Amino acid sequence: MAEALQDATVKLSLDGVTSGYGAIDVLRGVSLDIREGEIFALMGKNGMGKTTLLKTILGAIRASAGRIRYEGAEITGAEPRALIAAGIGYAPQDQPLFQDLSIRDNLRLALPGDAHLPSALERVYGHFPFLADRLAQKAGTLSGGEQKMLIIARALMTEPRLLLIDEISEGLQPTVIARIAEALREERRSRGTTILLVEQNLDFALGIADRWAVLKLGTIDDAGPAGADAHSRILRHLQI
Amino acid sequence: MTLILDILTTAAILFVIATGLLTIFGVLKIINFAHGAWLTIGAYCAVAVGQLGWSPWLAFPVAFVVGAVLGGLTERFIVRPLYARPLDAILATWGLGIVVGQLITLGFGRDVQFTAPLLPGTADILGTSYSIYRLFALGAAIVIGLGFSWLMEGTRLGLSARAVIMNEALAHVLGLDTRRIRWVTFMIGCGLAGLAGVLLTPLTSVDPNMGLAWLVGSFMLVMVAGQSFAALALACLLLGGAQVLVSTFLSPILGGITVAVLAAIILRISPKGFSRV
Ligand SMILES: Nc1ncnc2c1ncn2[C@@H]1O[C@H](COP(=O)(O)OP(=O)(O)OP(=O)(O)O)[C@@H](O)[C@H]1O
Ligand SMILES: [Mg+2]
Repeated sequence: MAEALQDATVKLSLDGVTSGYGAIDVLRGVSLDIREGEIFALMGKNGMGKTTLLKTILGAIRASAGRIRYEGAEITGAEPRALIAAGIGYAPQDQPLFQDLSIRDNLRLALPGDAHLPSALERVYGHFPFLADRLAQKAGTLSGGEQKMLIIARALMTEPRLLLIDEISEGLQPTVIARIAEALREERRSRGTTILLVEQNLDFALGIADRWAVLKLGTIDDAGPAGADAHSRILRHLQI
Repeated sequence: MTLILDILTTAAILFVIATGLLTIFGVLKIINFAHGAWLTIGAYCAVAVGQLGWSPWLAFPVAFVVGAVLGGLTERFIVRPLYARPLDAILATWGLGIVVGQLITLGFGRDVQFTAPLLPGTADILGTSYSIYRLFALGAAIVIGLGFSWLMEGTRLGLSARAVIMNEALAHVLGLDTRRIRWVTFMIGCGLAGLAGVLLTPLTSVDPNMGLAWLVGSFMLVMVAGQSFAALALACLLLGGAQVLVSTFLSPILGGITVAVLAAIILRISPKGFSRV
């Protein structure tokens, strides 16, 4: 009974997940629970498998072992399409935008059809008003910071219940990071969105996260709540 | 004047064939070497419609539907299982093209077929008389080209197809149904080749291997054009024009290889071809 109750509050759980590229395993038995409504920061140095983990959750890479559960149901092996329809949003790290398409078309491609496009656009303008005036501009001609905001805006178009965000703060100045942090906080406040944030920027991550974990060589090396000692503990792992 | 109209007609028909090939190439990342066979299928749809005594105009919808349905089956049962092995997929389309040619020979014989003229007669244009059918073919090819541009630029399906062309991995993680997009693209591309086959029937002789020369020409055009439809239109106009000029003033046989030779030369000089247009 107690376990069932606890299960109900777990949004996403990974149990011994192994995955990689071809014969090479990048993740080696990752186990992780993300609770309903929390912001969880997944930290780790370059090449440790953070992006691979998000892609495995989303079904873009197949787990070769282990189980992934979302909202209580097993989703191991499901396609991105099905998971997005089930309320997962994704802000990718590599080549995240269609550079030659307009802002509007980039946002439009997040939805399965155009029926709810106007209301979804209105919603994301609330977070990033500049988008409204620049709809026809090609994504590739936006500044680095504007592109990052567009990536987040696109992930919010579908009103996801679980957001997977991959190093959104990479290469951004503090004011833009603050705007993105505010958008994510607001999204959780108003809709209770659960967020799994892959990050290397400690200040940004611990500024909005409730809990954290460090991924090292494909396994969870350390984890804890975002308390006073979090900063120094994580820093120890991130140092070379 | 006749020359200009000839150039425009050739370019427009080349464009209809090559857009299908280009779109399939962009979305599925394979060259469909059976594309020429679909042109032949379209032409034989016109022959069959004639033999059945139907209105020759029916050949257009019949060829599009037959081409698209056969294309859909091909994608589903031949191309899709080989999607992870593009080279094998390309070889399979090559083999399929040969099989289609043989089947047509079996069904209709090896002989050259003729169809009833759709629009007999000539019209006077700025003092020269010109075949009405050729004018119609030009207009039809332009309408098909415009319709296709609208499909790609103005519809959600076209947007999805362009997204897959630009960045398939991203399209996949955004939840686009990449499998369905590949399928529909292949169907429409094959349907277009069928339409082009019907357009061609009154202009050239219909035989089981008629598609081959057009396949080679449009393949070279696609290589020259890269992923850009504007570049493709330009390449069709320039190389198609050169083909007409060579055929008219030198010899029709040389004309037949003009597109391929010029495209090879262009690619030698500028490996990116016209793709930056
Ligand atoms: N498509 C791929 N094929 C083969 N190996 C890959 C592929 N993508 C990533 N890898 C390898 O998997 C390992 C983990 O990569 P991953 O992108 O998950 O790291 P990361 O933690 O996200 O790093 P970063 O902080 O630099 O983004 C790396 O060693 C990388 O070289
Ligand atoms: Mg990464």
